Amino acid sequence: MHALPSYRRCLAVFAAGAFALAAHDADAARVSRLTPPSELFSSGEADPVIARFLPGQQFDLQATVQPDAGQSIVNFAFYVDGSPVTSRNAQTIARTSIVTETGPADTCIADGRTTGASGCKLVSGLPSNTAIISQRAFTKSAPGVHVFKIVAQQGNGVLISASGNFEVVGIDRGGTVAKNIIVLLGDGMGAAHRTAGRILAKGYAQGKAKGRLAMDTFPYGGMVMTASLNSIVTDSAPGMQNYVTGNKANNNQEGVFPDDTIDPFDNPRVEYLSEYLHTLQGKALGIVTTADVFDATPAANAVHTSARGNGTGIVDQFLDDRDLTGLTVLMGGGRKWFLPNASDSVSPQPANGSQRRTANDYVLPDDVVNGWGAAPGALDPERDLIADFQAAGFAYAPNKAALDRAFLGHAPNKLLGLFAYSNMNVSYDKISGRRGDSTVVDAFGFPDQPMLDEMTERALEVLSKNPNGFFAMIEGASIDKQAHLMDSDRWVHEVIEFDRAVAVAKAFAEDHPDTLVIVTADHECSGAALIGASTLTTADREADPAAGKSAVGTYDAAGFPKYAILDDGYPETTNIDHRLLIGYGANADRYETWLPSAFPTKDTQQPFPPAESPADANVRNEGVGYAVSGQVPGDQAVHTATDIPLSAFGRGAELFHGVFDNADVFFMLGQAAVGGAD
Amino acid sequence: MSFVRCLFVSTLMTSVLLLAVAHASTSETARAHRDAAKTRVPAALAVRKDLGPPPAGVTELKFREVFKLPVGPKGLEPTDKLSALDGKRVRLVGYMVRQDPPPKGTFLLAPLPVQIGDEDESLADDLPPTALRVDLGKSRDLAVPLLTGLIQVTGTLHVGMRADPATGRSTPAQLVLDAAPERALRHVARDLAAQSKTHKHL
Repeated sequence: MHALPSYRRCLAVFAAGAFALAAHDADAARVSRLTPPSELFSSGEADPVIARFLPGQQFDLQATVQPDAGQSIVNFAFYVDGSPVTSRNAQTIARTSIVTETGPADTCIADGRTTGASGCKLVSGLPSNTAIISQRAFTKSAPGVHVFKIVAQQGNGVLISASGNFEVVGIDRGGTVAKNIIVLLGDGMGAAHRTAGRILAKGYAQGKAKGRLAMDTFPYGGMVMTASLNSIVTDSAPGMQNYVTGNKANNNQEGVFPDDTIDPFDNPRVEYLSEYLHTLQGKALGIVTTADVFDATPAANAVHTSARGNGTGIVDQFLDDRDLTGLTVLMGGGRKWFLPNASDSVSPQPANGSQRRTANDYVLPDDVVNGWGAAPGALDPERDLIADFQAAGFAYAPNKAALDRAFLGHAPNKLLGLFAYSNMNVSYDKISGRRGDSTVVDAFGFPDQPMLDEMTERALEVLSKNPNGFFAMIEGASIDKQAHLMDSDRWVHEVIEFDRAVAVAKAFAEDHPDTLVIVTADHECSGAALIGASTLTTADREADPAAGKSAVGTYDAAGFPKYAILDDGYPETTNIDHRLLIGYGANADRYETWLPSAFPTKDTQQPFPPAESPADANVRNEGVGYAVSGQVPGDQAVHTATDIPLSAFGRGAELFHGVFDNADVFFMLGQAAVGGAD
Repeated sequence: MSFVRCLFVSTLMTSVLLLAVAHASTSETARAHRDAAKTRVPAALAVRKDLGPPPAGVTELKFREVFKLPVGPKGLEPTDKLSALDGKRVRLVGYMVRQDPPPKGTFLLAPLPVQIGDEDESLADDLPPTALRVDLGKSRDLAVPLLTGLIQVTGTLHVGMRADPATGRSTPAQLVLDAAPERALRHVARDLAAQSKTHKHL
């Protein structure tokens, strides 16, 4: 055990607040949080084991220790299976830290408790002498359940300890490994979304589907339980990161476990599959999304933060830590985070629309930098991140024409595509633009955006140049975003676009049999339900947009809606006479017309909406449509805890069957990529 | 907030008093925002169906004329029209942004209804980049009452990305409101304050 320099600072802070502590805090010394999370620590039960890792996968050990009043922590050690993991050598010291409340005492401590105010170190409500103790980048290779323990020593010599457990999951099945892994994630895509896509794109006749979605043709599959660490209802950050870390995160958090510090970039980390496979095998990483690339799903493959909204720091980490993740392709929207902002405090600023800000940028503490080999980061809103990507060898494509030009002759070695200011326009509007009505994409300012299948083709061309293989995450992001907005026409279109990307990946896997492809979602969104079909014609619905229930044909009256599909692969129109009707079980208040909206409803991350866009789902068609009372608060539909389907194709696909947890998927992927399958 | 907390440490009674005053002030402004649906829009800012041409010497500016479209590969660029209107009087129609905390002496005008919360969302939110800051030249301490629905503002335009010292939020141009609409806003705020006092006595 060893004393750290920060102990002196801790003592100073403690001395200042000693009187208040003595008066108000009689709590016994204890460890209030132990990471990685375990039931052994939380409830004393050894099962279930919460934290699980692949052999050699890195993760941080951390404890929040609350000493006796008047005391502070002077030494500590972590033990795993009885053996110390902290020693006195210099390298280990550089990988450890004690964080205490060293912010201004008059701001950060009140009544002997931390305040969590801006500029402070710790969250609110902790005793002022609390210490956050970390051991960074620990690994364990031996399969099995392991017990770990923190022992912290107070200044008066009293020891405080607590234990937890974790498991290292063996990948010893053997077989031929999958060289390439493609995860296609339809954000928010539950069973109803898939079915709706099939009804529109393929149609039914006498009870039989006339064709199958590409994802329907995958031979293996199962149902996925989607809970996050702190809720049965996940958001997209843990929804994705649970698949690629093998562990549960809190909502809003990606690549980290929760902690008790305010800094969103210092949380205890867990290694991503991309980092694991890049380190172990030299695989490349590709991230393709129709969202802003800083969004939760893309970021939860390469970026470690407890605050999914910290756009500047997130996009910086994509580039800064490319040597850890193998980032080779990054495509989507989100140009606003990459443009230089000369200063976020001094005017005038460039009028380029940059959203880079110091307030959501990142700088890492030394122990994280030393432990993980991560870039330290900098508060640099003035950074020209596009130029930095280009300097690092990435070809940059701001639109589809430039994307195509980048592949003239041969595919680039690395690729950055930023096709919109924030989230890309949705398929419904992009296809309208390609068919001649570019009103919406023109109004958003980005008339030439690629479709997801086109982005997927280009990504696979680049990634497949790596002889060591790749891990690719391809996201159909706005299935979720449009389901939140209860815009049925637009999210069904998104499912069709997503499935066309699935078809591209499947074709690649057929040509490259050493490839595993899975199609899944992170969670269901909106409680979407296919309730029947319209009994009214389009003209009748337009004449009476408040027809509401009287337009809904259920059971026999629903029949089989028949959509015409054009050569571009999309419905001629979603607004056919006897159209599919969709209800929502997780809905906010809304006004239903059973008609398409000419303009997309403003989504919460799209900062460049045209004036014609409805402000939110709960006011769209207000005064026109049939009022549907919501069951959830707020303006939009919400995620649900419903299990979601997963389909698998290619090498190792047979590993995916039954009902399993989202974190289990990580170990199936690890088995296929490292242990082998078939 | 840190100022208030410091006072709390140095003298409890004084800080309690200050907090009570601050709370009352915030409550009144917050009530103005909550009751926005009932707040009348004064004629100087109201938008009627036939808005008509702007007065002589005033140029109509639309939000879609703020930046060039389509957006360039390296980001947004001001239009020639916007640049040419620097220092000129313009009329702009848009929505007053619902802000939390509510602004004083200034407000944001956006092309569609938007609600932003600086404390919760930092600067990563969905405020359109075309949104402009509207400054009240002589009423810098006025808690601006929220007006819902479309409004028109007329004033002198200053082009150039500048940050609001209070929030750090940057806008590509700023508009100093004409005296008449500023006076109208003061009257609305005064009426709301009077209503609030009446309610307290009921």
